[in-house]
Amino acid sequence: MRNLKNKKLGNVIQFAGFGLPALFIWLSVVIIPFIYGIAITFTDWNGLSMDINFVGLQNYKAVFSDPTFISSFFKTVIYVVFTVFFSNVVGFLLALAVTSGIKGQGLFRTGFFTPNIIGGIILGYIWNFIFSYALTSVGKTLGIDWLSTSFITHPTRALIALIIVSSWQMSGYLMVIYIAGLTNISNELIEAAQIDGAKGWQIVKSIKVPLLRNSIAICIFLAISRSFMSFDMNLSLTAGGPYKSTELIAYKIYQTAFTSMEFGKGQAQAIVLFGIVAVISLLQVYFTNKGAVDQ
Amino acid sequence: MMKRLLSLSLIIMMMTTLLVGCSGNDGSKETTEGSTGKANEKVAISFYTTETGKDDMFMDLIADFEAKNQGITVEYIAAGNDQLQKWMSLYASNEGPTVSLMDPINIYENQARLLEFTPENAPFLANIEESALSTLTFDKKIYAAPMSAAGIGILYNKEVLDQAVGGNFDPATIKTVSDLEDLFIKIEATGVSASMVTGVNWSLGAHFLGQTYGAAIGNVDERVAYVASLKEGKVSLINDQVFNDYMNTLDLLAKYNYNKADPLVGNVNLDAEALAAGQVGTWFMGDWAWTYLAPIVAEGQEFGILPIPRNNDASDIINQSIPTSFAKGYCVDASQNTEAQQAAGLKFIEYLTSDTDAHAVLAKVTGQAYPYKNFTQTIESPLGRATADYIANGLTYDFYGTSNLLPSDIWYECGAFMCEYLAGAANRTKLAENIEMYWKNSK
Repeated sequence: MRNLKNKKLGNVIQFAGFGLPALFIWLSVVIIPFIYGIAITFTDWNGLSMDINFVGLQNYKAVFSDPTFISSFFKTVIYVVFTVFFSNVVGFLLALAVTSGIKGQGLFRTGFFTPNIIGGIILGYIWNFIFSYALTSVGKTLGIDWLSTSFITHPTRALIALIIVSSWQMSGYLMVIYIAGLTNISNELIEAAQIDGAKGWQIVKSIKVPLLRNSIAICIFLAISRSFMSFDMNLSLTAGGPYKSTELIAYKIYQTAFTSMEFGKGQAQAIVLFGIVAVISLLQVYFTNKGAVDQ
Repeated sequence: MMKRLLSLSLIIMMMTTLLVGCSGNDGSKETTEGSTGKANEKVAISFYTTETGKDDMFMDLIADFEAKNQGITVEYIAAGNDQLQKWMSLYASNEGPTVSLMDPINIYENQARLLEFTPENAPFLANIEESALSTLTFDKKIYAAPMSAAGIGILYNKEVLDQAVGGNFDPATIKTVSDLEDLFIKIEATGVSASMVTGVNWSLGAHFLGQTYGAAIGNVDERVAYVASLKEGKVSLINDQVFNDYMNTLDLLAKYNYNKADPLVGNVNLDAEALAAGQVGTWFMGDWAWTYLAPIVAEGQEFGILPIPRNNDASDIINQSIPTSFAKGYCVDASQNTEAQQAAGLKFIEYLTSDTDAHAVLAKVTGQAYPYKNFTQTIESPLGRATADYIANGLTYDFYGTSNLLPSDIWYECGAFMCEYLAGAANRTKLAENIEMYWKNSK
């Protein structure tokens, strides 16, 4: 009986030692703000006012009847589709390259991963300079018209610039996950395929890619969720411009809450975004896992 | 047993640390005990500024203030890209700044949290020009003290314009849009770009478009009524004379724009360089641009400000006037700061508005005119002097008229429409429709 009590006490102490701090932090920075955020969506709070009124579902109605929110959402979908595709393809190709045994592959891995530790805000400003001044100087010097004007002052090209930089940044991060997957593939399988006469591309297509299904699922999930919530790069590279043509949904939410001071509406937009991202991510994970089971 | 005790003590220590760490202060940042052990001797306050690019200046002012007011320490907080976001975050975390330097509209919208200035608690009000306090007065209650007077207009490089007119350029000769176009043609004839528009939303959306709600509409009451009718959807902007007049002027500026090839590339630093280097004759901006020009101009270079003409009526006084504003005001928070902190905050504002050493620093760095009666500093900035001259000659009108005339997001929302128009991606009709829609949806 006493041993049982001691065991229980030990379990409680173990939980208190390892689980409680993490639980406390998780509750403090995720769950409580999330619930608080949902509560704000039912108010007309402007983010500063001391006078807060309950407005029911008015903010949600306003979100769905706001054409600029719908437009931002579709721009975001375009951005997400291309960013997810290119970041994964580039990340995968980089992973293949730096696991092929080339000289200095450790250095390359570090180099390609570096953009992730610099941070989106700084990268955005750096690329803003590159697109606006460095590339335009090259264009003017060489007499190339399309390169003589900044990428970020034209709506379509600004979105392309955003996709290029985001894919470039994210590909290094995804590369690391693909590297982990690739190094887990047994050499025996590769050697057996080679003995059977499989060439480089055939090995990639028929051995490596199928065995990387879990890594691909994780990478696509991460790329989708990160792209949908992309904010820092949007802020520093294009600031939603030119004339709000690259105002992605997270940036739109920020502007609604902090520039237009419609905190309730901005928060409602954020909850809608959360719902959309959650559904898309769950569907993606479900279908990827289903594919793995079917296989 | 020892291990268990050790585990328990570690857990208690960790939880205590966490709870202490998360508890923070009670939001009152109040007083700290002095070395003598007496409470209320030292007061810690914070100062939040939305006047960007002047960190060194404010740090110097704070250092001087702290030296002159032993016991008061000022924490400096500068706004980032978005002046409201950080302010709102500070309030949300119960850390509302004691003194904030904000736009009049922000002060108006947040007045419930702010301390009312009275002759009793803020004797420095007597040192401020009465006319400068109107933008910061709501229902006859004063909620802030103005910073500098900012003039908006067409800046010019006198050397370039002298060469263009073949003599000494006199700004008073530009009284109509035709006069301005003639000048532009002469400047272009010398091989220099005539005008420059920085294609950014705040310049076009707040400053240029803001004129269409200015003195051309009438007095303050008429301007307020005009904005009200815009909100009710009763104004057809495409048929509105004032709107079209100013857009015609913008078309003229755009026609000779130095940045015409890529109008939205918008970089204030590079544009300032172009004006200083004489690559362009004029620049639509404001006298605050001296902050960018001062470090790069050569000795002896002269600059000035031209009004923005809106029609060809040479007798129209608005064609000869510039809009000026007290675009920023110092306010004190009363909702999250103790009375001791509020008193210290008022002392800080008194220092900024009345101290001659503070005036010297402000005049040197900003180069702008200040509405303080004991302000005797020579303004080094030719742009600041130009604004002061317009004020002295009565050729100015209050840009805002009243602090809540224009919503706080007009620069972002309508700035985007104006940028679209400048880039040629939208015509006048589309621009007018977009702006009408903005007003109809605004609160």
